[in-house]
Amino acid sequence: MHTIQRLIFATAAATALVSGSVSAGDSALRDGKIGYVMTDMFWSVYQTPDAEQECPRGFNDGPREQFAQLFPNHEELSVEETQLKQEIRTWHPTTEPDDFEFLSVEGDLSWGLNLDGKTGPNDFTHPDGTPGIDNEVYRSVGCIIGFRGPDGVEYIFQNKAIVDAPYNRMMIELSDVDNLENDNSVTITVSRGMDRLLTDATGAKIMAGGTQRVDTRWGKSLIRQMQGSIKNSVLTTEPIDDLIIPWMNLGVPSIHLIRDMRLQLTLTSQGAAGLLAGYADVDTWYKQLIRNDSTHHLSNGQISGISLYKALRQFADAYPDPESEENTAISTSLDVKMTQVFITH
Amino acid sequence: MKYWFNSTRQTPPQLLALTGLLAYAACSLSSAADSTNTLKENFRDIPTPPAFHVEATLLDGPVFANANGKTLYKWSQHRLRNGYSGEAPGTPECYDDVLTVTAGLMSPYPPGIILPELDSRVSCTDLWPPVFADDDAQTIGEWTIVERKDGSKQWAFDEQPLYTSVRDSRPGDVLGGTTRRFGGDSPAKRTPIGPPTLLPPGFAVRSTFIGRLLATDKNNSVYSFDQDSAITAACVEDCLNKWQPVIAPGLARPQGEWSVLERSPGVKQWVFRGKPLYTYSLDRRSWSLKGTDIPGWENVFTQAAPRLPSSFTSQATIQGNVLANANGKTIYVYNCGEDSADQLACDHPETTQVYRLAMCGAGDPEKCLSYWPYVEAQVSESAPDESPWTIVSIDPMTGRFASANQSSALRVWAYRDRPVFLYGEDKRPGDVNGAGTGEWRGQRNGLRAIWLRDDYMSGIL
Repeated sequence: MHTIQRLIFATAAATALVSGSVSAGDSALRDGKIGYVMTDMFWSVYQTPDAEQECPRGFNDGPREQFAQLFPNHEELSVEETQLKQEIRTWHPTTEPDDFEFLSVEGDLSWGLNLDGKTGPNDFTHPDGTPGIDNEVYRSVGCIIGFRGPDGVEYIFQNKAIVDAPYNRMMIELSDVDNLENDNSVTITVSRGMDRLLTDATGAKIMAGGTQRVDTRWGKSLIRQMQGSIKNSVLTTEPIDDLIIPWMNLGVPSIHLIRDMRLQLTLTSQGAAGLLAGYADVDTWYKQLIRNDSTHHLSNGQISGISLYKALRQFADAYPDPESEENTAISTSLDVKMTQVFITH
Repeated sequence: MKYWFNSTRQTPPQLLALTGLLAYAACSLSSAADSTNTLKENFRDIPTPPAFHVEATLLDGPVFANANGKTLYKWSQHRLRNGYSGEAPGTPECYDDVLTVTAGLMSPYPPGIILPELDSRVSCTDLWPPVFADDDAQTIGEWTIVERKDGSKQWAFDEQPLYTSVRDSRPGDVLGGTTRRFGGDSPAKRTPIGPPTLLPPGFAVRSTFIGRLLATDKNNSVYSFDQDSAITAACVEDCLNKWQPVIAPGLARPQGEWSVLERSPGVKQWVFRGKPLYTYSLDRRSWSLKGTDIPGWENVFTQAAPRLPSSFTSQATIQGNVLANANGKTIYVYNCGEDSADQLACDHPETTQVYRLAMCGAGDPEKCLSYWPYVEAQVSESAPDESPWTIVSIDPMTGRFASANQSSALRVWAYRDRPVFLYGEDKRPGDVNGAGTGEWRGQRNGLRAIWLRDDYMSGIL
């Protein structure tokens, strides 16, 4: 074969590869259905350089710093008076004030959605100017190093587990879709996948076009269905009563319970990105954190479970307990990214 | 060599079919208990000093024991967060000093904190008597003798100094420790030692909650098909798309319970207890049980799971099946190891209870009974024969064994002599809200669920 012919052939082959991937993406919408699998998920934390706007007084201390302040002469004290005392406070948390001032977010801006349709004095404003943003989890965790990107311990490892652990393999499938850019009525089904994610040759990049089976056995109770619409490629769903998110980080079968859950995702044929928002059950939220991450892990992110629980309860803003009238749920938003996947039934 | 149980070499080939029975959600486990097979695991004879022999155990297969039948344990070095504990080869570290302060091996807590209940605290050797060697003892094979600090001689196996456990009282007890997997953040545990399982190259066995599970040495579970026999394979053609025969070398020869099936000229397949062995192409995790979802296929065990209490049930969760009581509430085991240099366990009614009481009820026994109640045995219930499940009498206010005729005592189920618990926040069958409660995900001072099947986190291991 002449050189010029080789060149033409190689060019044609390369073009075919590129166009092949494009056409694979275009054909992701099949029979009015398209699926996406979760690849990134973490609590929405609005960050400014050096945290000057949201945390002007700095960051909270963690278990290690608090222990040092509480027990400077720990060698004169017993395990019961020190270590177990802190573990009791962690595992049997209360709303009683402790000896440490909790630094909550002080800025006005936050990612998230207006969950209650109202604009109140405690609401944030979206960086795009939208008022009424409800995200009290952000107010609680925004000044804790472990929850901030790009190197907070929770930010890294809880997010990493989304890809690594099939237990966390959340998916959505849109059906009744006429057009991925605009459609007045689509149906969204949430379920858990069972399979590994398709990656490139490095194993690091999640690729569109993979296949997932639906976990209808162990994951049957996780399946939810909701309605939504697509406008200018943005999917917005109606809230559903609750969503159980299977989310384990270090091998503990834990969940998050999000009430009034809704999605706002920008869709392409290759993926989806945006927000999952609602009201997180406070006790479930807290237990998910401390059951997966021991005091050691929390220390790495300067996360005092003891102090954080008090903050979560303080800022909880929904679902009051009928007897105590204390709110049991807290508004929140999660940044999510998903990759297109073919869901087999 | 003296055997304390009948040799299994004359046992008719028979396969242990247990897991399928355990896999049903929300069903009584009495059928599983009834099917418990008495087959024991075969082992390879290795040169052994006359002072020791092999005992069959319910949980860990064959183990070495001393003349009194007490199981021998090693305390291998284990990396913890801030250093190592356990013993380096040839170096005894378990002595009669009563330690008084923490070692700080588990961050974030610093070393030097005063350990609990010093007035009644015991030493390492109080709980783990060294296995001393007579002056005229002779080393043989992997059995060697190491010298302790005081010049006394101690037996070692594979260079690890050996001990017995005061928790063991009968031949075959392994109450001091188990070979089941423990994670990097668990205490440096003592584990029983035993002879190698009689396996061809390419296989491995692990202790799991549901029995001694057979796999390849690549950790892929092996399965058998009920339509197969030792001389014929019914899994052919399309069946082989999902099931790969475990190929035996061309020179493989039958030995004991192992034989070979020539599937086609020159292609040999391993056969165990009369059943050809396969791996499952859709297994995504090591030591998987998923293949049992296909009718006719079973995992293979060298030794079945011991009997369970007849009132216990299996409940489906979002992760797999968990052991539960008659009402479907998940059953939890308490784990505890001190952050001391000797890493003594604190998970037994005869050890300090301050750790458990802190975790289950903020130090208040009444709260513990509410938040983490014991699994009480029904009046009519008795412990199954040949089982690590027993019924013990517990003082609910102290957590210790009750005194004789104590009127306030609770009659509770115990696994390996340790009481088991329910979690007050589990409301419905299948809830596992208490799993991972406590320090280090329930591995160091906390509670973990008992998994019968776990498709996500290898919980049976």
